[in-house]
Amino acid sequence: MQTQNQLLIKHAVGGRTFIDSKKDPVPYSVEASPEGWMFTVQTTWNDDVREIIRLKDELNVFIFEETERGTKKTWYYVKDGRVSYDGTSGKLTLFAGSRIEYFPGDYSFY
Amino acid sequence: MIAVYPAGSRYSYDHGWLRGSFSFSFGPYYDPDNTAFGPLRVFNDDTIAAGRGFGAHPHSDMEIVSVVLRGSLKHEDSLGNVAVTSFGEIQRMSAGSGIIHTEGNPSDTEEVTLLQLWFSPERRGIAPGYEVSKYDPEQMVNRLLPVVAPNPAPGIAAIHQDLTIYLSKLESGHSLVFTQPEGRKIFVFVIEGAVQAGARERLHTRDSARITDTRSLELAALDDTFFMLIDLP
Repeated sequence: MQTQNQLLIKHAVGGRTFIDSKKDPVPYSVEASPEGWMFTVQTTWNDDVREIIRLKDELNVFIFEETERGTKKTWYYVKDGRVSYDGTSGKLTLFAGSRIEYFPGDYSFY
Repeated sequence: MIAVYPAGSRYSYDHGWLRGSFSFSFGPYYDPDNTAFGPLRVFNDDTIAAGRGFGAHPHSDMEIVSVVLRGSLKHEDSLGNVAVTSFGEIQRMSAGSGIIHTEGNPSDTEEVTLLQLWFSPERRGIAPGYEVSKYDPEQMVNRLLPVVAPNPAPGIAAIHQDLTIYLSKLESGHSLVFTQPEGRKIFVFVIEGAVQAGARERLHTRDSARITDTRSLELAALDDTFFMLIDLP
């Protein structure tokens, strides 16, 4: 499980934050495959997880990583709502089909 | 049915460099009973201070329309688009499968005021896209001028949703009638002035109305009025 970078799961419409691993550390992992990236987050069932499941077609998932150039942000496109929660293992899984990496400083307003 | 939402019923905020109002749940304002009107998900009335703006952030599967009312708005995105728009222009961004963009006020001295509207698209996963279209403000006097619609046309930004956005400057004492097929919706937003919608409802500056089950709507200007009308599924 990865903890050094920051994981954010937010609503894509309006920006409500459901998971912020910096404020509320949760163990998570990201596994790459030819089809995309599978996120696994260890968390108990709560209101935020319920909202993630309800809004599974409208999520923004980020990994923020501190680098020598500043914060590198990687945004993942959660395609086709492949989001689920397993109450037995306490695992939230999200599948992302593509991603875009960016440094905010590369743009004029940041 | 005409449901009127007075300007003061919106969620308003003032962060100094950014102030405005949200008609639907957005940012710190969350009301589970006010998250959408048909595909209309966001209607923000923003004023951004000179030289300030929103840093790089992503969007997906949303049709985003920006209507500049005063000042100018700079846009930059991960597709390589850079543009500055002002009154008389419409900015439409199709976020589709993903786009990173910034937007802000490039002026050193003037504020920018804009309306930003987000709509759910007809389908997910389309290729992202961006355009700026120009309309002639003279053409909206005492008529409904389409500025955003599904099919591209001169002066009209093309959107991936079955809706049309009209702008109108209705002079005091003038009226017009909008008709639509059964089952569709109408959203009206008064930018400036005052208008009577239907037989009884009066809308003043920054008031809006969400209209359903109405095939014909008469709008009569009580003052010189600048308004937006959206025909929605």
